[in-house]
Amino acid sequence: MIGALQLLADSGPNVHVAPGGVFSVGGLTITNSVIYGWICAVLICAALIWVARQVTVKPKGGLIQFIEVGVDFITNLVENSFDDKETGRRYVPFFVTIFFFILLNNWLGLLPFVGDGLQSSDHPLLRPFTGDLNGTLAIGVFTMLFVYAASIREAGGPLKYLHHFFVGNPRNPLYFIIGVLEMFTDLTRVISLSLRLFLNVTIGEILIAVFAYLGHVLAPLTALPFTLLEIFVGALQAYVFTILATMYLSIAINHSSAHPADDDLTEEGVPETIGVNTAGSAHGRA
Amino acid sequence: MAIIAETVNTVIIGKGLMIGGGFIGPAIGIGLIGGSYMQAVGRNPEASKFLGQALIFVALAELFGLLAFASTFIVK
Repeated sequence: MIGALQLLADSGPNVHVAPGGVFSVGGLTITNSVIYGWICAVLICAALIWVARQVTVKPKGGLIQFIEVGVDFITNLVENSFDDKETGRRYVPFFVTIFFFILLNNWLGLLPFVGDGLQSSDHPLLRPFTGDLNGTLAIGVFTMLFVYAASIREAGGPLKYLHHFFVGNPRNPLYFIIGVLEMFTDLTRVISLSLRLFLNVTIGEILIAVFAYLGHVLAPLTALPFTLLEIFVGALQAYVFTILATMYLSIAINHSSAHPADDDLTEEGVPETIGVNTAGSAHGRA
Repeated sequence: MAIIAETVNTVIIGKGLMIGGGFIGPAIGIGLIGGSYMQAVGRNPEASKFLGQALIFVALAELFGLLAFASTFIVK
């Protein structure tokens, strides 16, 4: 509260978009968002390991039930977006991890001591990790690298994976250009995934700062609705990030499992299944 | 033109136009998505299970408004 009142003395709301360096180790500047990212990562790991030990057949309620519901929700989401549930189950742990990491980082970033509450040499001491483009870019790059590695493994080799970008024979110049454009479109997914998360979190922070400034003495009252909105947006963005990453992976993998039917069509002239590409048929042939 | 630039704070006008123009598109888009979703639910109540997919497209449309908002910090 005292921090908020000091903030009002300024000419406008105190807005931070770029992270501020707090200290440096051997030429590497450690920024405030990285510090809070480490703290959150340790807290999330500790909490989730504790929850995993507490899980029982009969639900106990409380935090454990909340985590269970979340894990179940993402598990169903990932499994149902693949043609083959067994394939989907292999990638469930990664997406559950990503979901909880982003969700809890978004929510822990809304705590009052994160931001202008604690200062260290004209920078906030702590900033939300997802409110920093470097942080979300790291999450986005890691997610897309995982997606590419998984789709290459499922397709059975880098060249076979690249072949899926071409709708026809790559030696046809038109199909070649379309395929190369498709590849570049694919690369923009890293940017769009990380920018969406970063902008939503940062602009939420700015929104809260602006309304706390406008509220003047009644800052807690005016900022409260937007904090509640940000709790919703944080959950929604974690969900959107997870489902988009799942979609990118499932499109690549379902495409590769659908290809044997195309080969049948070209070689034998008659497709084995007309219009129906079930998981069972692709699985049986493999 | 130089007089206008000296007397009028063009930065504020530019930022206002960026915010207004940048937010109108996503607002229309999200309205269309929400309207279509409600229409679909009204026609077929079982369609309410696609709320998650509707929210994905809301997030996709929202990104461009946020990009416009973030770009206002570049204008000096």
